[in-house]
Order: sequence, then structure tokens, then C-alpha cells
Amino acid sequence: MDEQKKIKKPRGLARLIPGKCIACGDRCQASCPKDAIAMNDKGEPIVSAEKCIACRKCMKICPATAIEIYFTPEEQKILAELAKEAKTPVEAEESDKDTDTIAAKLREYKGVWVFVEQMDGKAAEVSWELLGVGANLAKARNVELCTMVIGEKVENLCQESFAYGASKAYLIDNPIFNHYRTEPYYKAICYLVNKYKPEIVLIGATGLGRDLAGAVATELRTGLTADCTNLSIDEKGLLLQTRPAFGGNIMATIMTERTRPQMASVRPHVMTMPKKDTSHKGEIIRETTAIKEDDILVKVLELIDNRKQGAEEIDIAGAEVIVAGGRGVKSKENFRILQELADELGGVVGVSRGPVESGWMPVERQVGQTGKTVRPKIYIACGISGAIQHLVGMQDSDVIIAVNQDGNAPIFEAATYGIIGDLFEVLPAMTKHIRELRAKKRNGA
Amino acid sequence: MLIVTCIKQVPDTTQVKIDPVTGNLIREGVPFIVNPFDTHALEESLRLKDKYGFHIAAISMGPPNTEFTLRKALSVGVDKAILLSDRVFGGADTLATSTVLAEAIKRLSQEEEVALVICGKQTIDGDTAQVGSGIATRLNYAQLTLVDKILSLDIKAKRITVRRKLEGYHEIVEAPLPALITVLREINHPRYPTVPMRLNAKETPITIWDNQFMKLQEESIGLKGSATQVRRIFSPERTKGEIVGNGTANPEEAAKLLIDKMVAKDIISV
Amino acid sequence: MSLSNWIFLIIFIIAITFFAWSFRKRFRLLALGKAENRSGSVLKRCWNVVMYPFLQRCAINPAYRFGINHAILFWCFMVLLISNAEFLLKGIFSAIDFARLPNGAYFTLSLIFDIVSILALLAVILAVVRRLFFAPRYLPARSKDAFVILSMIAALMLAFFFMNGAEIGQGIERASTYMPISGFFASAFMNGASKTTLEILAAIFWWIHAIVLLSFLNYLPYSKHMHILTSIPNVYLRNLDGVSLQPREEFKKGNAYGVGQVNQFTSKNLMDSYSCTECGRCSDMCPANATQKHLNPRVVIHDIKVNLLKNGPDLVAGKQATLPLIGGKKEGSIEEEVLWDCTTCGACTAVCPVFIEQYPRILDIRRHLVQMESRFPEELLNFFENMESRSNPWGIAPTDRAKWTTTVQTKPFEINETEYLFYVGCFGSFDARSKQITLANARIFNAAGISWGILGKDELCCGDSLRRLGNEFIFDTMAQKNVKMFKDKGVKKIITQCPHCYTTLKNDYRQYGLEVEVIHHTELIDQLIKSGKLKIDGKVDLGKVVFHDACYLGRYNQIYDAPRKTVALATGKSPVEMERNHERSFCCGAGGGRMWLEEKVGKGINIERVEQALTKEPQTICVSCPYCMTMFEDGLKTKKMEDKVQVLDVAEIVNRAMKQS
Repeated sequence: MDEQKKIKKPRGLARLIPGKCIACGDRCQASCPKDAIAMNDKGEPIVSAEKCIACRKCMKICPATAIEIYFTPEEQKILAELAKEAKTPVEAEESDKDTDTIAAKLREYKGVWVFVEQMDGKAAEVSWELLGVGANLAKARNVELCTMVIGEKVENLCQESFAYGASKAYLIDNPIFNHYRTEPYYKAICYLVNKYKPEIVLIGATGLGRDLAGAVATELRTGLTADCTNLSIDEKGLLLQTRPAFGGNIMATIMTERTRPQMASVRPHVMTMPKKDTSHKGEIIRETTAIKEDDILVKVLELIDNRKQGAEEIDIAGAEVIVAGGRGVKSKENFRILQELADELGGVVGVSRGPVESGWMPVERQVGQTGKTVRPKIYIACGISGAIQHLVGMQDSDVIIAVNQDGNAPIFEAATYGIIGDLFEVLPAMTKHIRELRAKKRNGA
Repeated sequence: MLIVTCIKQVPDTTQVKIDPVTGNLIREGVPFIVNPFDTHALEESLRLKDKYGFHIAAISMGPPNTEFTLRKALSVGVDKAILLSDRVFGGADTLATSTVLAEAIKRLSQEEEVALVICGKQTIDGDTAQVGSGIATRLNYAQLTLVDKILSLDIKAKRITVRRKLEGYHEIVEAPLPALITVLREINHPRYPTVPMRLNAKETPITIWDNQFMKLQEESIGLKGSATQVRRIFSPERTKGEIVGNGTANPEEAAKLLIDKMVAKDIISV
Repeated sequence: MSLSNWIFLIIFIIAITFFAWSFRKRFRLLALGKAENRSGSVLKRCWNVVMYPFLQRCAINPAYRFGINHAILFWCFMVLLISNAEFLLKGIFSAIDFARLPNGAYFTLSLIFDIVSILALLAVILAVVRRLFFAPRYLPARSKDAFVILSMIAALMLAFFFMNGAEIGQGIERASTYMPISGFFASAFMNGASKTTLEILAAIFWWIHAIVLLSFLNYLPYSKHMHILTSIPNVYLRNLDGVSLQPREEFKKGNAYGVGQVNQFTSKNLMDSYSCTECGRCSDMCPANATQKHLNPRVVIHDIKVNLLKNGPDLVAGKQATLPLIGGKKEGSIEEEVLWDCTTCGACTAVCPVFIEQYPRILDIRRHLVQMESRFPEELLNFFENMESRSNPWGIAPTDRAKWTTTVQTKPFEINETEYLFYVGCFGSFDARSKQITLANARIFNAAGISWGILGKDELCCGDSLRRLGNEFIFDTMAQKNVKMFKDKGVKKIITQCPHCYTTLKNDYRQYGLEVEVIHHTELIDQLIKSGKLKIDGKVDLGKVVFHDACYLGRYNQIYDAPRKTVALATGKSPVEMERNHERSFCCGAGGGRMWLEEKVGKGINIERVEQALTKEPQTICVSCPYCMTMFEDGLKTKKMEDKVQVLDVAEIVNRAMKQS
């Protein structure tokens, strides 16, 4: 370096870009090597100018790109001068030795695996949907697409997974796996993963799948991303897992860079079902396990099918689909129209306050401020104007559909989709159309 | 015997809005609350305490302002509140979080036998539902997720029977203690703190455990111990307020259009 | 002194002693209550005593015509007090006798006593007949207590006439010509009796009169007629503010909040329960009682009294109370449902002849239930949490508060610049229907050219419902925050469009040191028209308009005329009154936190009120409160009348009239 140059290159200071911080959980603070970041009560960083060395670690770690490096006007001037001299060396990416050694270890892991969830030998559809997206990932990585089939007398599922695109199926068939229990299942999967080392493991984000995935990932000390809505492979060959966060207000792309396998769960109906091709064949790899029934202290005592439960037991708070009626339904008898649509969608009938007041429906079905708060996947509001007392009880539903004659009704402001029309015409038509589509599919398949 | 309830302080995500122009999250005025699922976990612990006389410890990992959440827990009747707070715990994913929580429970169990660990099903900011499983696996406790009813608890025989709610069916499971339970909102109605309890909670000391105390390897916790990294965040596509078809003139057509749209968007399947 | 004098003296002393003992026993129980400062304004208080008990303004009420009977009985009683005093004294000291007075005075007195006695007797007979045959629904007509007392009064009067009659018959009564009724008794019932018989009769009736009189005295403390003794002090100690405010609470460790046990009431509250004469007017006015709810305000006060009498002796002795004040099924215990039925409309206290404060006692107990026991209807849990964490009932993001401002010109409130703070309130900010009222108001303010501003997303809920529901702890923090904000921003004048905000800011917040001018939009509009700032040239035709008084505007704050005048001006004719209007107005059903509770028992209060309105066959129902708006619109929908009758706020009507011009 030139001795005459008294001017040192300014490093600048890290600072928060207002409005950008999402309070992700102190990543910037944790990344700071100089303890220069304190968090305020809102969960936003406050950078100490004395301590900050502008190492940019916080800037890089911030998922919201909410931190920038700031230069004072004087510093900017200096920078401009330095730039003029064109001698500014390009900052080299820090080479990380650790990264290299880890990378070598990670390369041992190959293949995309899908866990086939089953009950009584019948697979959950989400498993096949995963094979669809799994095929794309396997292709991008140029590796095999395999399934894990675990259960009792479930060999048929291996054949089925080939038909949906898998080329290999790892099968553990043992009475101990008759009904799902966390412990034997997660141990079986960890055994397979440790033995065969897949790079990606996909599991359906059902109640069972989430229960299992969390245990597996913890045991393997690897990363797991829940409820992904999009999966792809980046230029470095890493799995890009995109999922909603913050109550669906933002999307986050998450990576598992340093551990393997990269695990993700995906909710049912998010990925498209691949075409079934019964001619497609694959290889079954049979495995056994050392787990003994006596070691497993958890016992499944009973399974209760919800459809066999009485109508009184209907719980709108936990329902995934709600078809709700308001005063616009006009009579107790007319709720039959809503019930038919609800039956078709596997949902239940809810109400706003009006029908309860009129005695058409019991108060247990009431949604709203003084009724129940619901968060179903689909909420169909029929003949409900959408008074605030009702809206607060259902506005967090994933999809809201409004059917109302009054186009100015406030319910349309909350709705994802709306039909301005007579519910007595629209609802039966919806039910009919679903039935037609299903009939068509049955006949087609 | 002790019940440990894990709670988390979260921003109330139902209050979060996206600025339509910049696409940024509008967090102004969004309060931090006790994760709603965890309030049910707390309530279930309290009910078991009322019935069987357990002690309850509430633990929470987070920055110092998490104290607010623990005070809430104290105000409804937990016996002690422990805040797991250290700079090195920050930036943790579910894997690193469960490491710290499991260690805290292990330490608590050295003082008093742990019967149950109760967590909410998931948090509303992360929605992962993974921390519960993480703790159970690390501690080798029986894992009972998605519980909507505790059917029986036999302290002598150290067995618990619960009902789990899964897609389309319920499962009745019996497990040995200690067990980890994650609860659904349907399990109970949380109680409201009385004023004397609130005032008491204001003065009850909150124990803070940092990593000097916990002595966990820095590689296994916080940002460094996290297996997942957030690469970027972005605003989701919004499909708010679309009027489908002309329902007045042609209701049948509008209904068809709507159903087709829902099928196409995978909202429903046929 | 004769032997009979001596005998009577002994009886008299026993009776007076017993009375004093009973009286002391009862009044010692009042001392169990907490102290409360109701001193000051002595002149005003004395005037009240003159007006209400002595001039019987309490009983005389055009809505309760029979009250005049009470007034007559009362005045008779006052006159006969003199007569009876003489009677008792004469019984001991024969020398004390009105007959010793000069003729003029004696004759006048005799005439007065004779006439007054017959008036009293007639009033008693009327009262009995009414109770037996024409009892109104609200009156617990056939109570044993009532008949015992009425019989006693009748017996006194009859004994009086017979006694005098017997004396007239003997010819020893020199005022006989001035005692027409006694004279009638003499000629009708005792004609031709021998002197001895008459002497004996006179003595018998004298003794009957004496014994009944002393019994009456001793019966008083054990009956609802205790009111004879307590209603005058009760009136003296009445609440002189327009609104019955709950006192602030001091939140300190070790304190108890609200009333969970009868001795946690104040002594004045307890005296209220002694003063109730079971006239039933509060029951008659109560909207909950009118719609078959559990609540009957009279019974609440009665239960407090019974509870005090039952537990009082134990509590005085430092023992535990045995009869629970809340939740028991027995007389003297208030059912929990009762406590949540109240809409705090204030109709009960407004109508009570002796100024008993019924609904504030309900609020005292709510405070206990919510704050000490966390016992409340489950639908309130959400409400309480939303209020605490987001300062609005629905838990909506505070940033949404100013969403209504997109279609109208508004400004933020600026310190030292803006004259009026427009405090929009939660309904006006978030509720789709009420936002229309907000917009109407904003346009009116702009048209009048006043300087006004809003707080926007910084506005906080006033906490009205919390306070009425007994959640004082959260209310207290909210009130403190609001008052601090108003003071920091230098707010001097506040416009509210919700009567609940209005009364909370104006009256409740005074306890927090807020002294600003709070003005309801209906008052402001009236002023603006008067001062010529707001001109309504056009008239809007809304058909027949009926006006509904909001409880918190009318009964709580005596604003009755301003909205009516404004509507008259904007529509060209005075609004039609409902049967129940002004201070007798019938609640919409949403006050007192009932907005956030389900109405599970009986007819909907709003349905009842809508039906009352519909009897007037209106095209428009005019309201001045967003709660009333919601309840009326809901009620009309239930009655399937929403297409035929519209509900409009005063501001909306003015806005429409402005558009006409």
C-alpha cells in the first residue's frame, strides 16, 4: 500500500432500513461477532456505532434484507475518490474451510425420498402428490426417486409408488408397524436414512406426517421445513423450500445448507398429483428392524372415525370446511341446501348470529365475536352480510367465499372469491357441479 | 411432580399487514402476545394442577422482553417461570430451539420429577409444529402430538391416556410418563387471570437461565446450531376480493366458474 | 296518674325499648358497610328532602297515577303524627290533652284529624282493592307485609273513629260537631248504647288504638315499611351527579375488588336496601325484566337486604357469612345470570321514588366476579383480551382505525391548532354501518367549517364496556392512557358520536382528572345550526320518523332536546315519540357490555324495542348511538322489516338534508 495514502478506506456502519425488519428472531444479533447489536422491544436491531465493524454478517443473515451498510456523506466522498483511482480491490468472498469439508460429507447423500403415509394398507394421497414434485427434484439433481414404505402387509404400496413415478421402494413390513406410533416409525426411518443416505426426504404435512417428521429431523440433527408450498433446486444443487410464515403474510425461502438429508413437509392438495402409470416398475428393497414390541410403551387403544360420530359432536372450531348461513337463508329447512354442499366438501354447517336468534340453528354453531372463532381452510358465507361481529370470528380462514345478493355487503371485502347472487340458486349449482366433476373423474379413471 | 409448559412470545400475526406499495410487513402497533396455542397448553397444565396438585414450571426462550409472556403465565397460576435468554440462543430454528428447551427441562427434572411437558400444537409465527417433537425426541419422552383431550392420568402407574385428533379420525393412545403433549385449541378454554394474581405475578421473580448456566455447546444452539437458513422472504400473491361471474344473471354459470377456479387452485379436490 | 296511666306507661316503655332495640340492631348492620362520602351540598340535599318525601314528588309521577294515593296517605300520616303523639302522651299524662286548647284551635284540630283519618282509611281501602283486584304486573301485590301494614293502618283509623264515637255518644266530646265521621260512627254503630257500655267501648277502642299503634311502630323495622324511617335520609344522601359512577379502585396487593360479600357494599348502599318499599316501578321500567330475563332490580335490592339481615349478626360478631351473596338459589342470594342481564340503562334508578341505586350494585358485584374470581360468561373472554391487547372489542389491528378517512377530508389533531378532537370510537372506526355515521359527521364538520382533527391509529378505546362489565383493572389502565394522551395533546374539546364514549369521557374520566368539554355530535350539530355555522336549507323526506333515546345520552346525561330539534329541522316535522321516551326510554339492549354477550333467555330486548317502534308505523327510526343502530337494524331484520323501515343516525339525517339544499 502506498504510504502517502493517509485516507483509510471507510468501512461504514450497519443500520436498519426502517419498515423492513420482520422481527425474525434476533438472527442479526446472533450473527454479530462484536456484540454490537441490541434488540429493542419491537424485536428490531439497534446497532452500536462504537462496536460495529461493518463486517456485514448481519446484513447477509437478514432474511428481510432489512440491514444496509451506511456511509456518512464524508465517507461517501472518500469512497468516490477511491473509486476514481480504480484501485479498490474487489472484496473476495471469504473462503470458508469448514464449508468445504462439510460439502464433501454432504456429497455422500444422494437421492430424493418420499415417505408413503398409509393407514390399513391404504396410502394417503399426499404421498403420491409428493412423488410428483419429487420427480422434478430428482430430475434436477439427476438422482433416483425412491419411497419408504413402512407398515404391516403394505407391499402393494411399493407397486403403487412405482406407478406414481418412484423407481425404488424401501420396504419395512412388520406387525409392529400395524398402526402408526412415533417411536418405531421414526427409528425405522432414521435407520434407513443412515444406511442409504438420501439427500432429500419429503413427508406429507398431515397430522401423522408432522408428528413423524419432527422426530426424524431431530434424531438426525438435520433441517426440516414444514408446510412447503414450493420446492425446487438452486444452482448449487440445494433444495429451495418456500413456505408461508407470519400467519401467511410473508413467504420465506429456506435452505438446509450444512446437514443432510434436507427434509421438507408439504400439505395435502398443494402439489399436483402425478399421472398413474401401472406399467412403470421399480425395485423393492426389503429391510428389517431390530425394534421389539416390548420396547414400545405407547399403545394405540382405539381409532374413532369422525364420520360415525353423532351430529351433536360437530365441532365447528376444528372444522376444515365450513358452509355458513346467515339470515339470508330465511328458514330452518333451507339449511339443508348448505348441508348438502358441506357434505360434498367434507365440512360442517355454521351460522352467524341471526339464525341462532331466529331459532333455526343451535348456538354451538355460531361463528363470531360471541360465538366461536374459526380458521378453516374454506369458509363459505351464504346470505351473511358480514357485520363486524361475524367477521372477527372467521377472517383468518384460508379461503373465504361469499355468496350474497347485496353486492355492497361488507362480507365481500373479506372474501377471496365472491358471487353476487341468490344463494338458493348458486349453492345447489355449486354442489351439482362438484358432483358432476367427481362423477366425470370416477368414470374417467 | 412437575409439569413443564413451554411457551413462546410471538408477534400477533393476525395483526400483521402488508404495505400494498412497498410490500413490506407493517409491524407497527402489532403487539407481542403469548402464542395462542400455548395459552391452551398453560390452561391444560393448570387444570391438571387443580386436579392432581402438580407443580408447574413455565419456560420460554427468547429475548429479555419475553418476561412479559412469563408474567402472563404467572398471573394464571404457574409456580415458577424460567426465561431462557442469551445472545447465543438468538436466531435459532426449531432444531436449535428444542436443544435449549430440552436442556432446560433436563435441568428442571433434576430438581423435581417431570411428569409431563405440555406445548401448544404450533406457534402462529412459525407454524412448524416441530419444537414439541424435537423436545420429546431429545429427552426420549413419549411423544403425543395433536391432543384434544386428556382422558386419564394415573400417577401411580405413570400412564396417561389421551385423544389425538388427526384427519378424519381420532386416536386414543396410552403412553408412559414422562410424556410430551402438544395440544390443540379445542382442548380447553383458557382462564382469565384474577387481579390479585396479576398483581402477584408482577412481583414474582423470574429466573433467567443464560448459557453460562446452561453450558450448551455454541455449535448446537442459536444461529450456529440451526440446520435451516432463511435465504429470503417475499410477499405472497394476494387473491383478495375477486367477484366470480355474474351471479345475478347466470347463477349456474357463476357457480361453475367458482368451483372450477377452486379446483384449479387446489383449494378443493374432486 | 291513674292505674291505667301506669299500665300504659309500662307498656309504652316496653314498646319503645323494644323498638329502640330493633332499630339499633338493624342500624348496627348498616355500619358493617364501607364508608362513603356523600356530604356537601347541604342546601341542595335539604331541598331534595322537602321536594321528594315531604312534597311527595317521589310518589307523584304521571306514569304511575296511583302514586297520588301514597301521597295522600303520607300527608295524612304526617298530620296524624301530631294526633298520635298527643294520644300517646295523654295516655301517660292525662294532663296533656288537646281538649285543653281554646275552642277555636281544638275544634279546628278535631276537624282536621277527623277528615284526615277518613282520607287515610279510604286510601288504605283503595290500596287493598288495588292490590287484590287491579294490581299491575310489576307490583308484588299480595305480599303479607303489605296487608299487615294496611290492616294496621285501617285498624288505627277505625279504632280512632270508634273511640271518638263512643266519647261523642257519652256526650263528653265538646268538639263533636266538628267530628263528622266520628259522629257518624257514634250514630250508626253505637246509637242507644248505655253510658257504661260507651265508656267501656271507649276504653276498649282506646286500648286497641294504643296497642296497634305501638305494634305498628315495632313492626316497622321488620318490614318493608322500614322505608318510613330510612327513605328520608336516603333521599338526603342521594347521588347528586346525573350519573351513578362507580368509584375508582386502588390496585394494590392485598386489596379486594368489587363486592363479593354484603359487607363490602357501602353503608349507604345497604340503607338503599332498607328503603325499598317494593313499589315495583324499577321492575316495570327494567328492559331485562320486561323480556323475561332473570333480572328484576327490585329483587336484587331485596336480596341484598335479606342477605344483610341473615349474615349481618355473624359478620358483626366477626364470623363468616353463611348465606352467599352471589350464586345461591335461596332468597337473599343473587343468581349469577341476574348480574349479567343488566344493560345498565339506568331506568331503575331513574324511576325509583327514594333514589335507590339498583344497577350500580350489580356493577359492584360484576367487579368482584371478574376481578377476584374470573367468573363471567365465556363470550367475554375474547372481548376482554382484545380490549387489553388491542384496545378495541374485536381485536382488529389498530392501524385500521383510520380506514374510513379515504373518502372524506380529515386532518390529524394538532396540538395548539385544532379546536375539536373528533373521538371516533370503536364502532365508528371499524363497524361498516357505523362508519357511515362517522362519514356523515365528518362532512357536517367540514361544511360548518369548524377546526377538527382525529387521532387516527393512535386513538384508543374509551373502555366503557369494560367498566360496565366489571373489568375495572383493564379499564383503569386504558383510562389512564387516554387521559394522559388527551392532556399531552392539549385537547380541550372532544366530539364523540357514541353516547358510551361520551359519558365515559365526560363523567368517568373526571375521576382521572380529565376536565375537558365533551360534546356529543347531536349537541354540536344543534349548536352549529343555532350559531348559523351550519345551514340546512333543504328538507329530507324520510316518512314518519320515530325517535329513540339512547340511555347514555338521555337518562345519563339529560340530552333530549338537541337531537329532536335537529331532526325536526332537517325533516320539517318533529319526530314521533314512542310510548317510552325521554327518561322513560327503553334500552336497545346493548349497553352495560350486553353488546358482547349473547341474549340466551327470553325475548330479545332489541326485538321488544323494535316492536314498540313498529306500533308507530314509522318509515324511519332515528337513533343517536351506534349500539342502538346495530340493535335496531338487527331487530328489524329478525322482524323481516328491514326493507320497510330504515334506521338512521341524527347525523345521517342532517347530512341528507344538506344534500337536498
